[in-house]
Amino acid sequence: MAIAEDRRRLTVRLRWLRAAVFVVFGLLAGVFWFFQVAQHARFQEMADNNHQRTLALRAPRGVIYDRTGQVLVENRSSFNISIVREHTRDLDRTIRLLAEVTGIEEAKVREVVDRHRREPSYRPIVVVQDATLAQVAAVTARRLDFELPDIVVQEVPTRQYPSEALAAHLIGYVGEASDQQMTDDGLPSGAVVGQSGVERVYNKTLMGADGARRVVVNSVGREIRTLEELPPSEGQRVQLSLNFAMQRAAEEAFHAYGYWGAAVVLDPRSGDVLTLTSLPSYDPNDFSTGIDRATWAALNTDKLRPLQNRAIQGRYSPGSTFKIAVATAALEEGLITPDQKIFCPGGATFYGRRFKCHLAGGHGMMDMRHALEKSCNVYFYTLGNMLGVDRIHEYSEKLGLVGKSGIDLPNEIESIVPSTEWKRQRTGEKWYAGETISVAIGQGQLSVTPMSLALMMATVANGGTRVVPRIVTAVDDGRGAGWQPVPPPASPFKPFLMKPATISALHDGLWMAVNGSGTATRARIAGRDVSGKTGTAQVISNQGKARAGATEKDLRDHGWFVFFAPRDNPEVAGVVFAEHSEHGYLAAPIAKHVMETYFAQKDGLPLPVLKVPAPATPAPAPVPTAPLRTAANTAGPDR
Amino acid sequence: MFERRLYFHIDWLLIAAVFALCAIGLAMIYSATGGPTSIYWTQIYAIGLGTIAMIACLAVDYRSLGDKSHLIFLAMVLTLVGVLFFGEVRGGSRRWIDLGPFNLQPSEFAKATVALMLAKMLGESRRRALTNNDLIFAGVLTAVPLLLIARQPDLGTAVTLLPILLTITYVAGMPVRYLGALALVAIVAAPVAYQFGLEDYQRERISTFLDPEQDARGAGYQQIQARITVGSGGVWGKGFTQGTQGQLRFLPVSHNDFIFSVLAEEQGFVGVIVALGLYLFVIMRSIEAARLAKDRLGAYLVLGVLASFTFQVVYNITMSAGLVPVKGLTLPLMSYGGSSMIATLAGFGLILNVRMRRFTN
Repeated sequence: MAIAEDRRRLTVRLRWLRAAVFVVFGLLAGVFWFFQVAQHARFQEMADNNHQRTLALRAPRGVIYDRTGQVLVENRSSFNISIVREHTRDLDRTIRLLAEVTGIEEAKVREVVDRHRREPSYRPIVVVQDATLAQVAAVTARRLDFELPDIVVQEVPTRQYPSEALAAHLIGYVGEASDQQMTDDGLPSGAVVGQSGVERVYNKTLMGADGARRVVVNSVGREIRTLEELPPSEGQRVQLSLNFAMQRAAEEAFHAYGYWGAAVVLDPRSGDVLTLTSLPSYDPNDFSTGIDRATWAALNTDKLRPLQNRAIQGRYSPGSTFKIAVATAALEEGLITPDQKIFCPGGATFYGRRFKCHLAGGHGMMDMRHALEKSCNVYFYTLGNMLGVDRIHEYSEKLGLVGKSGIDLPNEIESIVPSTEWKRQRTGEKWYAGETISVAIGQGQLSVTPMSLALMMATVANGGTRVVPRIVTAVDDGRGAGWQPVPPPASPFKPFLMKPATISALHDGLWMAVNGSGTATRARIAGRDVSGKTGTAQVISNQGKARAGATEKDLRDHGWFVFFAPRDNPEVAGVVFAEHSEHGYLAAPIAKHVMETYFAQKDGLPLPVLKVPAPATPAPAPVPTAPLRTAANTAGPDR
Repeated sequence: MFERRLYFHIDWLLIAAVFALCAIGLAMIYSATGGPTSIYWTQIYAIGLGTIAMIACLAVDYRSLGDKSHLIFLAMVLTLVGVLFFGEVRGGSRRWIDLGPFNLQPSEFAKATVALMLAKMLGESRRRALTNNDLIFAGVLTAVPLLLIARQPDLGTAVTLLPILLTITYVAGMPVRYLGALALVAIVAAPVAYQFGLEDYQRERISTFLDPEQDARGAGYQQIQARITVGSGGVWGKGFTQGTQGQLRFLPVSHNDFIFSVLAEEQGFVGVIVALGLYLFVIMRSIEAARLAKDRLGAYLVLGVLASFTFQVVYNITMSAGLVPVKGLTLPLMSYGGSSMIATLAGFGLILNVRMRRFTN
C-alpha cells in the first residue's frame, strides 16, 4: 500500500521534473535562436569589428617631370608612428612610454593626442611624422614585447622635392587637408593634398586613389593575417612645361648677383612657362611631413615674404618697360610712323607742367627705333599725349598687361593699367590728360605683375597673339597609353595681328637697346640677337624718399629687364625683376644667363657656368635658401 | 564480474549519447586550443580514466554502495578537510590533491557522494512520510561538504550540491509549500547576502553582470565577448577551427568555461541544437532510469547525481550566452577538466547501475 503510494508520488514528481527540464531547455534553445538567428547580423558586425582592422594604404602622388624629363617631384618612404586609442588600456602610460622611447617631449605628444581626442578611437593619431630609423626601431622593439600594443608604425609615401627650393612657388607643396577641403572633396581625415602651386591646381590628377588592407588581429592587436588587399593606385604622372636647366640658371643667377626678385620666361609661340621663379623661396620638403610651428611662423613673419609668389602675386610699377606698350599702340593706331622723328631737348611741357627726360641734355631727333634704344622719355610723352589713356589701356590689354594672365596657378592677382573708366569707378573722379603723360613712361597708377610683362613680351615677340601661359603639358595616367598631351588652353583674347611695320620697328628698337648703344647691353649674347628693354620701378617718389629719411624699410628702386630672343622668330620671351637693384641694367645679366642656358641646351652644348664679376659674400638670412647679397646691398637704406 | 543477464540491461543509448557529448567536447577543445596540444591529450586520458571509473561504478551493486555510504561520506569529508590543509594552491584557492602524474579535485567527487548519502538516508527511511527532522538532517549532511568546499574557496562547485538536496527531498515527498517558502527566503535574503555575505570581487561580478558596459574592458568583457561569440555563429556557424572569437582569444579560457560558446560560434545554431538535444536526451533517459528503478534508493541516487549534472549544464550554457554572471562552472562532459570528466562519467556509471539492476533482487 505504502509502496504503491510512494510510487505514485514519485511518478508525479518525476513528471514535474521532466516538464521543468523541457521548459528550461526550450528557453535555452530560444535564447540561442534569438542570438544566433534573430540578432546574428548585429553580433557578426561586432565580431568583425573585434578582429578586423582596415588599414589605409596611402597612394603615392604622381611624379612631376620637367619638359626635358628631369624629375622635379617624387616620393620617398617615411614612417609615421601613431596611437590607436581603441587598443589603449592606459592612455597616460602609453603617452609617457612613447615620449620616452622616441625622445619627444611628453607635453608635445599629449598636445597632439588632445587635438584629435574627439575623433573615433579606431583612427590612428599620428604622433611622429617622418620618424627616424632609431625611433622606429625603439618603438617596434617595445611593440613586440606587447608593452605598446596600441602603437602602430606605418610606412607612408611622402612627397620629396629633390631640388629643394627650386621653383617652389610654381610646384607648390602638400599638406593635410583642411576641414573645408575634406568636406568639399569628400576626403578622409588626414588626407594629404596639394596646398599651393601645381600640387594644388592639379591635385585631383596627382592624388591617386588610396588602397586599403583588411587584416585579422587577435585580442592584443597583433596582426594574424591579411584578408584582402586593395593596392593603392599611384597618382598620374605630370609633365610640366618648365625647363629645369633654365629654372636653375635663373635662380643661380639671382643668388650670384645677390638679388631677390622674380623671373618668368615663356615660349611666345605656345605660352609654355619655361621658367618661373620667385625669391626668396622656401623648401617644400618642410611641408611634406607636416611643417612644424616654428618654421611656419618664421615663413609667415619674414619681412621678405618668402611664401609670396612675386611672379604672379607681386605688383610693381613697370617703369620704362611700359614704353613698349605705348609704342605698339601709337604704331597700330597709325598716329606715327616708325621713321617719323620727334625732337628731345631734355624735357617738355604738357598741360602747364614740365616733364623731364632722364638725359638732361636731350636726345635730339629721335625715331621709334632710337627712342626705344635710348628709352627717350620726351618721345613717349608725346606719343602718350597723342594716344590718350584709354587707347593705352586698350593696347595694354591686348598685349597682356591688364588683368590676370590666366596661368594655371592659384591666387594670381590682376595687373592694372588705368583708364578713364577705371579711375571713375575707383575714385569717382575724372581722368586728367596730364596724368597720361606719366603713364606713357610707365609711371603713375600703373601696377603690374612680372608675369604680365612677360606676357607682353611674348605678344610682341609673336606678333600679336596673347597666349595663355600654361604649366602642365602632358599627363600619363599609368594605364599604358603613355604621355597624353594636354591641349594648350584656348586663348580667350581676340588675336590682333600687328602690322609688319610695327613688328619690325619694335623688334629693331629692342634689338638695338641690347646690341646697340642702349641701356641693356649687359644682356648681349653674340649671334643670338637678344632684344630687350630695361626699366626702373620707383618704390617711392623722390619727395617721399626725402620725407621718409632714415627708415628701416628698403626704399631703393626695383630693376626690370624684359626680353625676347632671337629677334626674328623668337623662341623665348620673358622678364627679370630684381628687387631693389636700383637699375634695370643690373637685372639684364640674370636674363642673359638664362638665355645662354636655353641656347646651349638647344644646341647640345655644355651648359654655361655663371661668372660673377664681383665676389659675393654670404650673409645670414632667415630662410635656408638665402641668396648671396653684395656688400652694397647689406648696407641697408642708403638714401 | 556480474551476472551475464545484467549485460543485456545496460542502457547503450545513454552511453552512446554521453560519449557523443564527450567527442563533441574533445573536438571543440582541439579547435579552441589550436590542435593536438597537451590539453587535448589530457582530456583524452581523462575520458579513458572516466570510462574505467564508469565501469567500476557499474560493476558494484548500488545497494552495497548504499550500505557503505556513511563510510564513503566520511572519507570524502576527511579528504575535503585534508585538502584545506594540504591541498595544492592554484589561482588563489586550495582545491587539488597532488597525486604525482596528475592533480585530483575531490570536490568533484563530493557530488556523487552526497547524492549517495542522501539517497540512502531518505530512500531507506522506514517512516511513511518525510519528517522535518529528516529534512534538517539531510540539510546538515549537505552543508558539511558544501561549507568545506566553499572554504577552498570554490563557491561554484559548492553551490552545485544544493540541487542534489532539493531534488532528492522533493521527490522524497517534501511538501511543495516548503519550496515556496524557500524561494521567498531567498528573495528576501538576497540583498542582505549581497551586502554582507559576499566578497568585494563577487559583488563586482554581479553588478558588472547587470550592466556589462560599465566595465567593458574589465569584468564585463567576458560576458560581452561571450554574447558576440555566440551571436556571430549564425545558423550554420563559422566552421571547425574557423571561429574568430575563440581562435583569436577574444574569449578567454574558451576550452574550459566557454566551450559551449566555441561550439555555438563554429557550429552555429544547428550545432547548438544538436548538443542541447543530446543533453536533453541524456537527462530524460536518466529520469526514466529513476522511474524504472527497483527501489527508492536507486531512484534517489539517480536523481541526485542527475541534479548536479543538470544544474551545471544549464548554468554553464546560460553563461556561455552571457546571460548569467561568469562563474567557474564547467560544462560536464564537454569542458576541459580531468576530475570533472572522471567524476561525471563515474556518476553516469551509477545511473546505469541503477537501471541495469532494476530486475535483480
